[in-house]
Amino acid sequence: MGGFLINIPFIPILEQTARNLFFHVPMWMAMYAMFLISLFHSIAYLRKADWLADIKAEAAAKTGIVFGVCGLLTGSLWARFTWGTWWTFAEPKMNLAALALMIYVAYFMLRSAFDEPKKRARISAVYNIFAVSTIPFLLYVVPRQLTSLHPGADGNPAFSEITAAELRFILYPAMIGFIALSYWVYDITYRAYRVRYISEQTLRNPI
Amino acid sequence: MYLTQLLFLVTNMFQDATDVAPMDTLSEAYSDKWIAAANQGEGFFASFMSSNNLIFVVLGVTLIIWTVLIVYLTRVDKKISLLENQLNHSSNEA
Repeated sequence: MGGFLINIPFIPILEQTARNLFFHVPMWMAMYAMFLISLFHSIAYLRKADWLADIKAEAAAKTGIVFGVCGLLTGSLWARFTWGTWWTFAEPKMNLAALALMIYVAYFMLRSAFDEPKKRARISAVYNIFAVSTIPFLLYVVPRQLTSLHPGADGNPAFSEITAAELRFILYPAMIGFIALSYWVYDITYRAYRVRYISEQTLRNPI
Repeated sequence: MYLTQLLFLVTNMFQDATDVAPMDTLSEAYSDKWIAAANQGEGFFASFMSSNNLIFVVLGVTLIIWTVLIVYLTRVDKKISLLENQLNHSSNEA
């Protein structure tokens, strides 16, 4: 399904590098979607203490990181040929996005620090709720206050009237498509983690 | 001989990363100053990427996405194979 959907963005409309919009931006949207799923399952874990919810939160956070890394790398390549550098410390959104990813890498470090599954699940669920609450500030509130080469800086909305209207017709399906793709990747990860958990439990207490 | 030529090509490809955009990005925000966009550098990689209205940048971006996803899925696949081996092993023991 994802492989089919990924072909949608290839409809030719604009001069060339603007097409990156259809790939770079949906990466972040997919990342947000995954972190939201992760938040949802972390809260669900704290409510019901169901180990499946913990595994789902972990898988969604992992998939979110994968798409975030995609977003960073594509943004870096794009910046090299439009802004002139691979990376610049004058660009707040770029650096804060990297920071947001590091916060999520820390989530996995925290997880690996515990051997006892229940303790690990509870503490990492709490951490995850804090982690996700930083995302809107790091990627929306703060970059809007600073000057930046990204659209949406200096208090402007990201999509202004100078953006060609026909971009939206491709961008929104592309977002849906990439979010669907990320959901598929998340599902694979979740099933792998679930099998891992079950096999760990059976190896620990053989039937 | 071919090997040295290839090595030369590969090192040349990424040479441009350093000799482009010698601007101070730490002390001053350079919003609205797209200085370096006009100067893409001399290397093979840079001139190839900036040909044809930068279309190869789009190609690169899509390839990055494919590579990252494929690498990630391969890693998950390996993990699952490892688990399968463990399970088979333990069921043989029992």
